Amino acid sequence: MTDKPPPPTPYSERPEWSDVTPLAQYEKANPLAPILYTEEYKDATGYLRAVVQSGEKSERVLQLTEHVIRLNPAHYSAWQYRYETVVALDWPLDVEMTLMDELADKFLKTYQVWHHRRLLIMCIGLSAAGRELGYIKQILAQDEKNYHTWSHRQWLLAFFNDEGLWAGELDFIDTMVNRDLRNNSAWHHRFFVVFQSGVREGEEDRERIVRRELVYVKQHISLAPNNASAWNYLRGLLDFNKLPLATITPFVKLYTAPLPAAAKDIVDVDNPPPGQGAELPCVAAVEFLADIREEERNVDEAETLWRSLADELDTIRKKYWEYRIAQARSV
Amino acid sequence: MAATTITTTMHPVPVDAFPTLTSTTQAETEKVLREHMPTADKPPTLQKNPHLQFLIRNFTQGMPSRYMSYDASQPWLLFWTLQAFSVLQIGMDPDTKQRAIDMLLECQHPDGGFGGGPKQAPHLLPTYAAVCALAIVGRPGQNGGWDSIDRKKMYNFFMSLKQPDGSFLVSQHSEVDTRGIYCLLVVATLLDIITPELVEGTAHFIASCQTYEGGFSSTSQPYYSADPSPANLLPFPRPALGEAHGGYTFCGLASWVMLQPFLPSTSTTKPSIDKNKLVRWLVQMQGVQAEMGGFKGRTNKLVDGCYSWWVGGAFGLLDSIGINPTSVATPEADGADWVDVDDSLFNRKALQEYILCAGQHPAGGLRDKPPKHADAYHTLYCLSGLSAAQHKLSPSSSRRKQLADAWVQVGDNMELRQRIFLDSLCYSEEEGTDTVVGGAANRVNATHPIFNLTVTHTEAIMGHFYGQTIPQKTTRLS
Repeated sequence: MTDKPPPPTPYSERPEWSDVTPLAQYEKANPLAPILYTEEYKDATGYLRAVVQSGEKSERVLQLTEHVIRLNPAHYSAWQYRYETVVALDWPLDVEMTLMDELADKFLKTYQVWHHRRLLIMCIGLSAAGRELGYIKQILAQDEKNYHTWSHRQWLLAFFNDEGLWAGELDFIDTMVNRDLRNNSAWHHRFFVVFQSGVREGEEDRERIVRRELVYVKQHISLAPNNASAWNYLRGLLDFNKLPLATITPFVKLYTAPLPAAAKDIVDVDNPPPGQGAELPCVAAVEFLADIREEERNVDEAETLWRSLADELDTIRKKYWEYRIAQARSV
Repeated sequence: MAATTITTTMHPVPVDAFPTLTSTTQAETEKVLREHMPTADKPPTLQKNPHLQFLIRNFTQGMPSRYMSYDASQPWLLFWTLQAFSVLQIGMDPDTKQRAIDMLLECQHPDGGFGGGPKQAPHLLPTYAAVCALAIVGRPGQNGGWDSIDRKKMYNFFMSLKQPDGSFLVSQHSEVDTRGIYCLLVVATLLDIITPELVEGTAHFIASCQTYEGGFSSTSQPYYSADPSPANLLPFPRPALGEAHGGYTFCGLASWVMLQPFLPSTSTTKPSIDKNKLVRWLVQMQGVQAEMGGFKGRTNKLVDGCYSWWVGGAFGLLDSIGINPTSVATPEADGADWVDVDDSLFNRKALQEYILCAGQHPAGGLRDKPPKHADAYHTLYCLSGLSAAQHKLSPSSSRRKQLADAWVQVGDNMELRQRIFLDSLCYSEEEGTDTVVGGAANRVNATHPIFNLTVTHTEAIMGHFYGQTIPQKTTRLS
């Protein structure tokens, strides 16, 4: 708080703004739950309301909207008006983008910073996209699960749908998953890239891709079995490719029993075993095995597994496991 | 009811000797929560008075300057506060109501819809908040607020945001997301301006936001092309952008429920969602005992009080899409297992414990988790979540019949409008199905599973706009 710069001269004291009369917020109402604004904010937004009403689009409006946005990045009307002004003035988009690099970094949890970038990128075109991937990577390095940033990346890839942009995605995902294999955003991104956004060059052999993904996800489960993100990816992978759950029964069974005392000598790459630190039985694996048994119409065995979840392993979801039993029994 | 959730052994969430940032922050949260665990001898109490003081303080003293970022969400501040009062069974005096009405009407934009404050651009989110706040404080007639809502302009505003894939921008030059669509559908339903034209393609859009995990994401991608046009629309389903998320899932599911009367009848064009996957994802969001049974908003994220409503409240919508545990539970199972009247799919008791023990700030107001501050947003969504965990409102055929019998023919499109009216208002609570942790003093009001308004407020505003008189309930309902 100590090295905060003094507030700028109020607009009401700036000669270059003397032609504008600020507009009060409320005209009639005595508002409930009023926000205790700072003087600086009250002053700036009074002038913003005035220029929006007069329809002025000028360089000083860009300065004003930037000022308001810095004080309150969630002020969507300021963003909206700024965008219209940028377009009306034919303002250099690279200059705007440089400012956005600073603001997105500062206010990365607000919707508007990301959407404004998106509007600019749509104006600039493909040439902005490669650089944007790099920028997003840098932001995700400091906030690994930022929802807006991940969906912005997915939008960028899908919108331009350019082979060059897609080319580095699997490596990028590897970096993120290696940093934290529990990062669900990274797993979702992998699903988006591999399965939900068309087929890349060199990935036309879908059976090979499915095998590759199975190896990838199983390896990650073996490193840390109690990881819902990886199990959900595995379920999504089988479901999307219309493969029976029983495709991976031998793998799942390695995780439904307590950890064996000694590691096996032979490594089966299709069925990587749990590491020595694994806490087993793994709830997600028991659930998976129950679903396999249900799929095989072996309801008795499925029920035994669901019972163990309901009564011992995952008692918080007792109601759900009992529902699954009743549902399977009623078929 | 036995205190099963408290006595179960408290295992930390497994780390598998493989710590990452996710597991480290998770362990820190569990450590904090351990200090707030309920004890068997001292049942948790809802600190109603401090919460009321907190809410009154917001109204009268105003919101401290850290709320400046809510300057573009003023109708939300009002809705969160007013609805929190409603959930706490407190009504407003006429002066306060009038001040709220006057304030909200100044946020109405001359071109239709409401902005985040006076002279701000109209936006779907504050439009929802303003209309719902008006449902609580407003009334018909002059200065009552309801008749000052310009429904014609509202409709045009909605149509101006419509996209070729059935989605809507939240505001001009802004993003598409399922929250905005939920907000639009609630307003259109309450105000009797929902039409087939307005929602054409919207159900397809919502369905395309369901991810492989089962929950819904913020949006989906309509084009693989820098030339967005109807001709370049991707075939359905379109890829979801962003992972499954509690807030978007509530909004997606509630939208799906509101869109039921508009779904095409032929199976070839009918959009669909995977209900089993959705239920699985919802139940997986409930934290284990070490997380006190609070809800998280995404896989491998931390529990947060607000998801008590966004995820906990979503269970209240499952009946409306045909998922009803009681219908499968009873006959064949061995009797002893099914004596419990609680037929919910989540642990209602544990969620209440989370809200009461971790969600309440000692100085009043509710919060994400300790040691965070309370705020207006978390205060409402913790209380609404508490309500969803205490009460179970379901579509009732007898209530539906009462409403249908009282229905009078007004206006066009009778059949569709009547269905929307009945679908929206047929929710009621069966006697003896409430589960209140900590005794009757902790009881809060039931809240409508779609709108997050009390049933009384929903009936009043819908009765007004649909031109109907609401029949008295013949059985005692809370």
